[in-house]
Amino acid sequence: MLPVAHVGHYLWALYVIPILIVVGAIVRNTIAQRRTRGEDDSPR
Amino acid sequence: MTFLPFAHALVSRKDLPIPAWLFAWAASIVLIASFFALSAAWRKPQFEDERRRPLGERFSAALTSMPVQVLCEAIGVLLLGFAIYAGLHGTEAPDRNFALTFLFVTCWLGFPFLSAFLGDVFRPFNPWRAVGRAAGGAFAAIAGQRPAHLPYPERLGRWPAAIGLLATVWLEVVYGASGGVAVGLSPHAAGLGALLYSVYTLAMMAVFGTKEWCERGEIFSVYFGMFGRLGVFGSRAGRLYRRRPFSAATSWASIPGSAAVVLASIASTSFDGAQDGAFKDSIENLFEWFADRGIELTTALRLTDTIFMLLTFAAVALIYQLGVRGMRTVPGAPSFKQLRTGFAHTLIPIALAYLVAHYFSLFFFQEQAQFTYILSDPLGTGHTDLFGTANGLVDYKVLSANMIWYVQVAALVIGHVIGLMLAHDRALVYWPDYRKATASQYWMLAVMVAFTCFGLYLLSVANG
Repeated sequence: MLPVAHVGHYLWALYVIPILIVVGAIVRNTIAQRRTRGEDDSPR
Repeated sequence: MTFLPFAHALVSRKDLPIPAWLFAWAASIVLIASFFALSAAWRKPQFEDERRRPLGERFSAALTSMPVQVLCEAIGVLLLGFAIYAGLHGTEAPDRNFALTFLFVTCWLGFPFLSAFLGDVFRPFNPWRAVGRAAGGAFAAIAGQRPAHLPYPERLGRWPAAIGLLATVWLEVVYGASGGVAVGLSPHAAGLGALLYSVYTLAMMAVFGTKEWCERGEIFSVYFGMFGRLGVFGSRAGRLYRRRPFSAATSWASIPGSAAVVLASIASTSFDGAQDGAFKDSIENLFEWFADRGIELTTALRLTDTIFMLLTFAAVALIYQLGVRGMRTVPGAPSFKQLRTGFAHTLIPIALAYLVAHYFSLFFFQEQAQFTYILSDPLGTGHTDLFGTANGLVDYKVLSANMIWYVQVAALVIGHVIGLMLAHDRALVYWPDYRKATASQYWMLAVMVAFTCFGLYLLSVANG
């Protein structure tokens, strides 16, 4: 049996998911851009 | 006696087609789609120029004429005076006394709603400005010179208004939190508060000048004027003009402390929505902790609520600061301080959205009371019936619970999309290369999604 009696207390997590997705995508994009910039700046 | 429940708990929603949390997901998708649409199609700033177009000369001259100005100012002074009188001498039943509904519902909510469309409509009716101007005029007539004022400290900026805004909301939702009524503050406290504030703000006008104080320190001028910047009408040098919607907001935050005003607005609305919903358990726990340590119950409750209100302000400010700090990572970014000030106006539509979402049903229902039994019996004595509507009732069936929810969701989504639009427009000023501007706005997108989901969560818990 799943302990679902107090599941209502954790509903906030469903509201956090979109924020995490957006922040995750931004962080990933920022890291990728920095890496690209680093490669462009490196001596050839 | 008629008691109104809080706006956030009027009636429970039923039969929504999808769970409430899915609305937050849908709203986030709308924001993300809007963000990419803006990135693709909006490559030059559009709101930096207000594009003023003067209104008809006769119409403008009539509205700004001396008799109309004096009439508006007299109405403002009379209504404030009557509200103070009703508060001090009327019934102590909060929902029957003119003072509470007039000050905390009709004015506090009505002026932002109206100003957001029409421009700053509070200014002509501002009772303190009217008294300050009259006193200044009388002084000049008697002394033969304009009154000398101290220079207003530049660094103080709008901080007095920001702190005053939090204090006003504190008075209503913390000090006056008696539970179960629309405005829990006692009418006497509201009347006394209005009287003390009048003395304080008139003294500040005497020290710094009416114009300066209204621009920076007078809570209500600053707060209502902030929403007025979204509206389509403005005035300059005695002429009324029409302008591009939202464009006047772009120059609003140049005064120090402006960001604190708009953040205080979002935070105070959030706290009011959360104290009986999302924060309820945590507030109870801290309250019990204080009570167990022997603190008197009312003091313990006010102390707990004050702490949570300040924490909410800190959390809202932190989300905004994180967004600004994120923008700093984009090459060519201006200083942190410049960004923080430069993007503060993008939060004004969000502050308005929060106000609409949290209070529009309260406003709708309470105004029925205002224009029926309160208007006919403003002191709430039960012996007066000025307009024959003293036995009027509030019709709660006019708005269904689901309709309220849909308006709340729509307000939040529209407010945040406008916020995104203003932020994208400002980014194009700092980064003329639209690709860099778009990159900087990823962070503001995160801020907007966070505020949207947070707002919907508060509403879902409060209404659920």
